[in-house]
Amino acid sequence: MPPIAQYVFNGLVTGGILALPAVAFSLLWRLLRFPNFAVSTYLTVGAYLALALNHGLHAPIGLAWLGALAGTGAVALAVDRIAFRPMRDRRPFSLAIASIGVAFVLENVVRFIWSNDFRSYDIPVTRAMSVAGLRIGRDQLLILGVAIVLMALAQMYLFRTRLGIAMRATADNPLLAAVKGVPTERVVAVATLGGGALAGGAGVFLGLDASIDPLMGAGLIISVFAAAILGGVGSAPGALFGALIVGTVEEVGTILIPPTYKSAIGFAIIIVVLLIRPTGLAGARA
Amino acid sequence: MTTMTRRQLLKAGATAGAVLGAPAILRAQSKEPIPIGALSPLTGAGGSYGPDMQRAVTAVVERINKAGGIYGRPITLFLEDDQTNAEAGVRAARKLIDVNKVVAIVATWASAVTLAVKPLCVESKTFLIGVSGADSVTQGDHKGYVARTQPNTNLQGRMYGKFAATKKEWKRVAYVALQTPYAVSFGDAFTGVVKAAGATITDNFIYEDKKPSYRSEVTRVLGTNPDLIMLEGYTPDSVVMAKDLYKAGYKGAILAPTFAINAKFIEGAGAEVAEGIWNMDRAPLFGSPAYKEFQAAVPGGDQAPYAPQAWDQMSLVALSLVAGKGEVSGTVIKDNLRAVSNPPGTAVYSFADGAKAIQAGTKINYEGASGSCDFDQIGDILSAPFSVQQVRKGKSEPVAIINP
Repeated sequence: MPPIAQYVFNGLVTGGILALPAVAFSLLWRLLRFPNFAVSTYLTVGAYLALALNHGLHAPIGLAWLGALAGTGAVALAVDRIAFRPMRDRRPFSLAIASIGVAFVLENVVRFIWSNDFRSYDIPVTRAMSVAGLRIGRDQLLILGVAIVLMALAQMYLFRTRLGIAMRATADNPLLAAVKGVPTERVVAVATLGGGALAGGAGVFLGLDASIDPLMGAGLIISVFAAAILGGVGSAPGALFGALIVGTVEEVGTILIPPTYKSAIGFAIIIVVLLIRPTGLAGARA
Repeated sequence: MTTMTRRQLLKAGATAGAVLGAPAILRAQSKEPIPIGALSPLTGAGGSYGPDMQRAVTAVVERINKAGGIYGRPITLFLEDDQTNAEAGVRAARKLIDVNKVVAIVATWASAVTLAVKPLCVESKTFLIGVSGADSVTQGDHKGYVARTQPNTNLQGRMYGKFAATKKEWKRVAYVALQTPYAVSFGDAFTGVVKAAGATITDNFIYEDKKPSYRSEVTRVLGTNPDLIMLEGYTPDSVVMAKDLYKAGYKGAILAPTFAINAKFIEGAGAEVAEGIWNMDRAPLFGSPAYKEFQAAVPGGDQAPYAPQAWDQMSLVALSLVAGKGEVSGTVIKDNLRAVSNPPGTAVYSFADGAKAIQAGTKINYEGASGSCDFDQIGDILSAPFSVQQVRKGKSEPVAIINP
């Protein structure tokens, strides 16, 4: 029987990857008042953009990662301009459905360009280190570390900068914020750019950790959704903790239930949270 | 005597004409092409195999049509992509059956797809033959409309077990499988043989597809200290699994199906991770004349055992139609399949030779590129040799042939 700590560590790494799209998903939901299911497909877009840089231009993976951040942010912004902005005043339900449509389109654009085959980045696979009986991979530590730093930066941005504060104000009460002179569309643009970048960066992590295929992001949507609900919609730290908990429960759960039912854990978390504490861990507000 | 009215006369004349002219009318109809469908994965986990399978089917159809078709009727082939996905497979099969009116669907690959398409075929009396291994493919009341050239899962599991038992250093064996329709029956057959040979089964579980990582599954199986992990998955998940096993420091052996450990696997996992992985699959009949003809007609199609099977499937469907004496339907194919494929009879190695022999009134026994193609009552093939490969320096090298 391997130590339970190993499962917890595995879960934290999974959670670290989940946290980035979960935060993006959660903040955009609060700001624009609809769940944007295309966020999980931004992961796929990010992973493939980095692949293009890594394979096509032989960029080192770190540089490819930065490129994916910028590129996916730009894609998210373009999607917002083309698909969501004309529908800004519609009901949240219509926008949520539109976001599913966007996810399909992006996924198939990826298929069209890179085909359906799975890919891997051009980096060597290394054996994990053994630390106090735990197997810890270099990539995994890096992923977890960078995810936490990015989360901290996002949090600082939201609380310390003018535009970040404006973003939170708009999230709380868009009408009031607009009346007070907050440039709503600029806030939305910056949040979309940032959210897309976070998700794109997570996509590269996912590609590093596993492999790259057109469905890689779509497969995570339930876990991302569960993390956002658990954390409380609109709360960045909530989404971070939600993601870490969802990741850990999914991994530790494999001790108790057959691994075939891993996906069911995300659903179970959503149901339990909605029944017991619908506002999530962080309550209603950011 | 009553006189015939003009109308009655016309009617009688037309009837007589129809009776007398019947053979001519049959001959006139006989130029009508025979529609046949090939439903294979061109994308998805099976996307490495479907294109070669369809190339093989196309090559056989070209040969048949060049040889004058089936009693003068050419075959029209409809190629469809099932995306290695049951839902897409059903959509494509519906189109083949309802729109193209095919009498047979050949060259299906994934068990999940074949199982999903099976009820449509049985209901519409369309003959279905593929390379899917799950036992359930040929189980149930399919009235003979389903057959396959791939050994069933039970036979496969026993053959893998037989190989594992030859390695005395593999005393502790774990079975880890992707969730597929054959995961459990394969595992039961495999672990049964391994246990009977005196080894211990340390772990046995099924994992889900499309998970970002399999670290916890790997943690679990490595906790049981296996010497050999039997990894029964498809290529995409096997890459992630093998990488996670490598990262976790596993130094023992891995045995897996060749359809998962292919060139894409080695490219995706990297030569270092892939090094030493054992893999098995049914072997084609390397020495047979049919295999030589197949190799010449489908260059590069010998990378996997499926294209030779697709070659045989199309040949068998056509020969069964020839044996049906000009009648064309899925029922004719299923009624004549065993007559052309099983012994006794003169061994034939191609459609052209077989068709000539049947028309000369000889009972034939088709011996194909993939094997002897002898079917039992439920549509399973009776036996097949298996080949064992090992990945060495980034290439899968043949190691041995295991016979049942």
